[in-house]
Amino acid sequence: MLELRDVDVFIDASQILRKVTLSAGESEAICLVGRNGAGKTTTLRTIMGYRRPAAGTITFKGEAIGGLPTHAIAARGIGFAPEDSGVFADLSVAENIEIATWTRPGGRPAAERLALAYEIFPRLRGYAARGGAQLSGGERKMLSIARALALDPDLLVLDEPFEGLSPAIIPLIGESISAITRLGRTIVIAESNIHHVPAWTRRLYVIERGEIIFAGTLDEAHRDRAVLRVIGGRAS
Amino acid sequence: MLFLVAAGLQLVFGVQKILNLACGSFYALGAYAGVSAVTWALGHGLPAPLFVVALLAGGLALAVIGPPLERLLRTIDGRDESFQLLLTFALVLMLEDVIRFVWGPAPVQLRGAYLVYGQVTVAGSTVPVYNLFVIAAGGVIALGMGLLLTRTRFGRIVRATAENREVAAALGVDMRRVYRRVFTLGVALGTVGGALVIPATAAVSEMAIEVIVDAFAVVVIGGLGSMRGAFAGALIVGVLKAGAIATWPEVEMLAIYVVVIGVLVLRPAGLFAGATP
Repeated sequence: MLELRDVDVFIDASQILRKVTLSAGESEAICLVGRNGAGKTTTLRTIMGYRRPAAGTITFKGEAIGGLPTHAIAARGIGFAPEDSGVFADLSVAENIEIATWTRPGGRPAAERLALAYEIFPRLRGYAARGGAQLSGGERKMLSIARALALDPDLLVLDEPFEGLSPAIIPLIGESISAITRLGRTIVIAESNIHHVPAWTRRLYVIERGEIIFAGTLDEAHRDRAVLRVIGGRAS
Repeated sequence: MLFLVAAGLQLVFGVQKILNLACGSFYALGAYAGVSAVTWALGHGLPAPLFVVALLAGGLALAVIGPPLERLLRTIDGRDESFQLLLTFALVLMLEDVIRFVWGPAPVQLRGAYLVYGQVTVAGSTVPVYNLFVIAAGGVIALGMGLLLTRTRFGRIVRATAENREVAAALGVDMRRVYRRVFTLGVALGTVGGALVIPATAAVSEMAIEVIVDAFAVVVIGGLGSMRGAFAGALIVGVLKAGAIATWPEVEMLAIYVVVIGVLVLRPAGLFAGATP
């Protein structure tokens, strides 16, 4: 479904990603774990076309997407929920979700896509008429994912969906994301806390200083000393 | 009609973050195009009372310069604001020369159209009916802009883009297309504004600079990027100007800038900053 091969990314003169290679198969959930500043967000933003890879290839459904403009990448079926949620405060919750059905009219009918978004995040249904600015942090994260889902994507890219949330709400959002994977959508999640990595994650990549230092299952990661030193020190 | 120019400026700034000095030139071009269109149409047998149709058509037709100019401005997208000011000011000067080249250096007037609709007496003073028409047109356009931005898909996409263009792009919004349309709409607001005002006055090549100064006063008073602010600011500036001219013509400019300075000191972001664009 999605494959990055030897991707180098520079921001100004400094190299942020070095030969990043990772892949996510059809209806697979993978997690990119790393400390703040390790290159997680840059990796996701490069997938979304905000950053142009200096070297390497990015393919989605067998097509090279590296260097395409962001909207064209979205149109191919990749939904994105940024770290700061990026909820449009000026628009209502319903409008936030609906936008994606206007910009990508193909595929499933709009009503079905909206219904699915509200089904996955039922709490948003009651807030449909509210302004985007009147939501709590957790609700913003929900809206951000619901909105990406309304694009009817085959792949969802979620940047730290649990970041800054109260422990009470994390399982709620985790369950919603898990429900999305059961729909057969592929999911790529970036996460800085290995303890937040959902158990149903098929594969884990650990990134440190712009390089992938580990690829394997969650269990294997928990047994890997180098991994724990980088991202989960105190737990072992 | 200052509102239209200021609204165009606000719209383009709000969405594209480009401070477009050339909005004044669109106003001037619209005025000249209006004169030419009406003169041509009347010469081809258009009944005089229908001149406003030709006037509006002339103004609207000029919006075709929007897309190529937007393409030009895109080259400085993301660079320092000083580039925008330099490039858009260069456009002002170039368009001023274009006007001189096409229409000549002398003021151009639209004779005989202004009073076609007669005059009425309102609250003891005589007002040409055309003025009332212009006021109504301004109101209708303001209302239309409001509905466009709040009730249509395009308007909601424009507002989303204005707020966070990166996220809008990730939701499949093609920035270039939105920018092109918004910029063209901004141009059309300016040119139609210029065309509407011309029966009451004369078109001179320097009118671009004059209206830019006023439009910036409007924008400072109303708050940059706010559509309601543009409307309120234009009303304030318009009333101030009229009031000053009626009492002490010498202080016309002074009165406006006293208010501008007052707003800058008391509410630096403008009266309507942060409100819905």
